Amino acid sequence: MTTRFCLICTFLCVTYFSKAQQSGQLSGLAAADSLLAANQYFEAGIAYERVLFENTETAATYKAVLGKTLSLKQMGRYNTAVTFINSQFSNSYPDSVRYQLRYQQILCAYLAGQFENTRSLLERLPVEHPGAPYSPLLECIRVFTLNELHRWAEAAVAYREAIGRLGADTTSDDPYRRLPKLKRESKAQWLSTFLPGAGQLYAGKPGEAILSILVQSAGLYFGVTSFLNAYYLSAWGVGAALFGSFHAGGVRRSQALVRQYNQRQISAFNERVKKRLLYQSSPDSASGR
Amino acid sequence: MSPSFYYALKASFFIWLLTTAYGLRAQSANFSRELRFAQYLADKDAFDEATYVLQRIDSRILQQTERDSLAYYLGWTAYSSKSLDQAAQQLLAVSPVSAFYQKSRFFGAYCLLFQGKRDSANVVIERISPSDSTLGELKALQLAGITLLQRRLTDYQRFSQIFTYSSYAMAEEQKRLDTYYKKLSSQKHKSPFLAGLYSSLIPGLGKIYAGKKMQGIAALLPVVTLGLLTFEGYRKDGPRSLRFLGFGSLFTVFYVGNVWGSALAVKIKRDEFNREYDNKILFDLHIPMRNLFQ
Repeated sequence: MTTRFCLICTFLCVTYFSKAQQSGQLSGLAAADSLLAANQYFEAGIAYERVLFENTETAATYKAVLGKTLSLKQMGRYNTAVTFINSQFSNSYPDSVRYQLRYQQILCAYLAGQFENTRSLLERLPVEHPGAPYSPLLECIRVFTLNELHRWAEAAVAYREAIGRLGADTTSDDPYRRLPKLKRESKAQWLSTFLPGAGQLYAGKPGEAILSILVQSAGLYFGVTSFLNAYYLSAWGVGAALFGSFHAGGVRRSQALVRQYNQRQISAFNERVKKRLLYQSSPDSASGR
Repeated sequence: MSPSFYYALKASFFIWLLTTAYGLRAQSANFSRELRFAQYLADKDAFDEATYVLQRIDSRILQQTERDSLAYYLGWTAYSSKSLDQAAQQLLAVSPVSAFYQKSRFFGAYCLLFQGKRDSANVVIERISPSDSTLGELKALQLAGITLLQRRLTDYQRFSQIFTYSSYAMAEEQKRLDTYYKKLSSQKHKSPFLAGLYSSLIPGLGKIYAGKKMQGIAALLPVVTLGLLTFEGYRKDGPRSLRFLGFGSLFTVFYVGNVWGSALAVKIKRDEFNREYDNKILFDLHIPMRNLFQ
């Protein structure tokens, strides 16, 4: 009689507790995924962290790391995503999983503007994963990163390789045949020192060049005429002071203008390469070929 | 009624009892797990996430000790993310029965102090009953620091007498508070009127007197130059000439501006001095708390 009672109790208890435990483990990852699908990225990030906190199983951990990375990416927290992947990277993961994580880390590092880090991660990728499949997106990122770092020669090689792999014509419309012509700040400084306004003209700002010539001439004119009329204090205190101030300012301004000019040239060039590479990688372009 | 049905009914009642007890234990375990999870997030500097997890806990179903723990962790997370107003509010809500009580009071008061609420912080610290002599000394250090921050210098020695200068956690800070006390006591009260007067006699001298040497020298140059130009205009073209009137007006503006600026420089310098020492005192009040409460 007692045996039967105990058996019924055991059956009911085991069924109740094992079901509760199972559903708890499964619901964590599923709940996080559904939050991510519902665009609730902050909550999804916490749900994935909970899976990492409560789970030691490799498959669930990997899925949670990837999910959390996607949540951070969607929230635009690319720097945090890079650090997060670094902290979660484990050699116990299978090779394909580690590749996926590295892939995401490279994307996040590039989006975070960590160009040196992106380059370093890209260099390590073929060493860590020799048999990894070719990724057109990573190739594009390699070119963009090298461009951002002004490593034009390496960027040109990477660009031609990427275009070649995409099956596009590598001989026509190669932006690296016409690299941006950068101007020298020292030259602008030297020109402005000896020829007022010449530095601004060299930087491609004729309007500012004329203004600089006018204000410096005005100061000089006032100084000379004051001196000739025996107003020596005015010649020194106003004429020379105005001329000196505008001259020194003109020299500094010409350097700043050259810096801005170079930045514009680099940005325009990078944008041109980006457009061309992304167009060649797009499905429309592939179908056209 | 068959015997099997009777046993099943009996077993179901037994299970109900068991699950109710299990439910209560599970609720407590669930709370502990949520706290550990929040701490795990806070350790990873994810303070917003930790706060979110803690705020989702329903405090109405918790026992007093659990409510205290929740308030402490919410306060500590807010303190770590530098939300001091929120931190003070939560930390000071921890009741005396909690194991976190003393730590919460000290840190809660510090949060108030950092926000400039010195009187409130003083009241909180004064009401603390230290559990041992080290905490008693920490209390004295905090109160001494508050007297310095409030510039009640005569009260400082009442608390500094308790300093033993022997505790690893606060000996250096105690010595430094003594130094600040001496510096604040010997601070010279400069007169804005005198600074203005000096600058009216020699342009820039008032700023040098206020402690701004470079500004004083920089102020001298334009005033003297404009003075010379005005003099030249007067000597060559007379008092009704446009040159004299133009430069004279400019000279007057610069001269009066310099006198006014010198008077203001005394206040600016005094504010800078006060801010510098306030920051030093706050820093030295914080370190011993971090040393004692890990």
